[in-house]
Amino acid sequence: MITGMERLVAAINGGVSDRIPVFCNLIDQGAKELGMPLKEYYADGAHVAEAQLRMRERYGHDNVWSLFYVGKEAELLGCRKIRYAEDGPPNVEDYVIKVYDDIAVLRIPTDLNAHPAFREELKCLQILKREVGGKYPICAYVTSTMTLPALLMGMDKWLELLLCGPPDLRDALLTKCHEFFVKEMTAYRDAGADVLVYSNPFGSTDTVSMNYFHDHSLPWIERDIKAVGTAGIVYYCGTSRFNRVIDSVLKRTGIGVYYLSPLDDLVEGKKIIAGRGLTCGVINDMKLIDWTREEIRAEVRRLIEAGMPGGKFLFGTGVMPYQIPEENIRTMLEAAYEYGSYEKQGS
Amino acid sequence: MLEQIIKSYNEAIFDTDREQALHVIHSAITQGVSPEDVIFKIVIPAIEQMVKSISEDFDANLAQHFMTAQIAAEVTEEMLAHFSKPPQVIGRVVIGTAEGDLHSLGKRIVMGCLKAQMIEVTDLGVNVPAERFVAEAVAHGARVIGISAMMAHTARGENGCLRVRQLLQERGLEGKIKIIVGGAPFRFDHELYRTVQADAWAEDGISAGKIITDLIREVQP
Repeated sequence: MITGMERLVAAINGGVSDRIPVFCNLIDQGAKELGMPLKEYYADGAHVAEAQLRMRERYGHDNVWSLFYVGKEAELLGCRKIRYAEDGPPNVEDYVIKVYDDIAVLRIPTDLNAHPAFREELKCLQILKREVGGKYPICAYVTSTMTLPALLMGMDKWLELLLCGPPDLRDALLTKCHEFFVKEMTAYRDAGADVLVYSNPFGSTDTVSMNYFHDHSLPWIERDIKAVGTAGIVYYCGTSRFNRVIDSVLKRTGIGVYYLSPLDDLVEGKKIIAGRGLTCGVINDMKLIDWTREEIRAEVRRLIEAGMPGGKFLFGTGVMPYQIPEENIRTMLEAAYEYGSYEKQGS
Repeated sequence: MLEQIIKSYNEAIFDTDREQALHVIHSAITQGVSPEDVIFKIVIPAIEQMVKSISEDFDANLAQHFMTAQIAAEVTEEMLAHFSKPPQVIGRVVIGTAEGDLHSLGKRIVMGCLKAQMIEVTDLGVNVPAERFVAEAVAHGARVIGISAMMAHTARGENGCLRVRQLLQERGLEGKIKIIVGGAPFRFDHELYRTVQADAWAEDGISAGKIITDLIREVQP
């Protein structure tokens, strides 16, 4: 039986297997899978691992996740209050940086593996590695240096510091965030993560202008990637569009996988990548909540027909909203397996 | 002269260069441009230019929206103190993020733009219960309630916009107060505002200013 890892490796190398790789990013749905509230679910890495394994088995997609929620990174840096919802992702409620003076005392943990907030993630990764390591890609989510401050002080305060200064304070914070980024990336790799989603809305021209991207974002992206290497790295801008910067990122960093925004033009994105990397076509999963079966199948078909010709293509989702009915998840995945089948094309 | 000032200000805004934008404004004042003209002939047209750029899919982005609104708010506050007579308030708005939502950037951009357009804005903060949205709107005589939500569950949840609509219905306020929503879920599903029973939605904070102004005119007695 062909595994998700074999499908992914074949796609990266420009080869074919039975079908294109299909990534389905079910995160909060794990709590539903185990029938428990989100707060209880995220309290134990064994819960997250068990739910990831069960959901992958049940739906048949090609990846599992070690991600709990994005605010975990803020917890590793001192956040003490996370707000839990019954039906959506937990959020940072207490910012680590409330005033600029907090930047000077922000402490980057010496050893992430020894940090209590990392313990459950490590437990999750160990179970995933033991159960499906080498067979199904294990994904980890790492926020880029330039985006991490938004989790520590809020997006508006970070934009203010980033754009208006003081520059020395901004640079001091970025330097600390970079130090954390390198440690976090290393810890995930050491623990067995294969796919490292490098999340950076500041690497998108929806967030900053092209000039700003080249003058500020790209140098930090280069610094991040130079420090950790490109192995397993996926360029992702948190559903913001980035077709216009792909060529620069590819040339300057060598990153080989691009997880486009659902709002990006997939055909254009693939043309820009031009066989130099893996193109990931991403469905608009906000619409999956209400779309009919026919609408879901039509959209999956549209994306796959746009991205699959010429190979080096993966079909994926964003971070799937908790509200998507199970039937719609199944419909989307069945359509992806059907339209993304090489065997069907060959017959 | 004014034409050159407008051009320089717009360039600074598009370059997200706050210092340069403020320098242009202060130079204009030195050259004899009135505080009223600074607002109505430089700052507001710059916002309108940004809205036009967005609609034409020009290179307008979040940083530019933020900076446009931030500078507009700063300049407006500074200029208002020097107006020859108090400006006429176009209308009143209350704004906040939906219950359970802590993302404040969008509403901050909207507020900056509204202030420059002489719309009185009351910031209700983040994680605002539906009951408070309505109570504050009534207390402030607001014509529009602005609800920002960045996550699917806060955009669609029973305690968000849907509950605000229910309360307006129960209290017979629907003809007097309109609801506008914004945030990521609405950008990815353009019909979602109907699902949550809002009157309108805005793609971004800058465009929201224009839509809110139109809504205020709709309900003006």
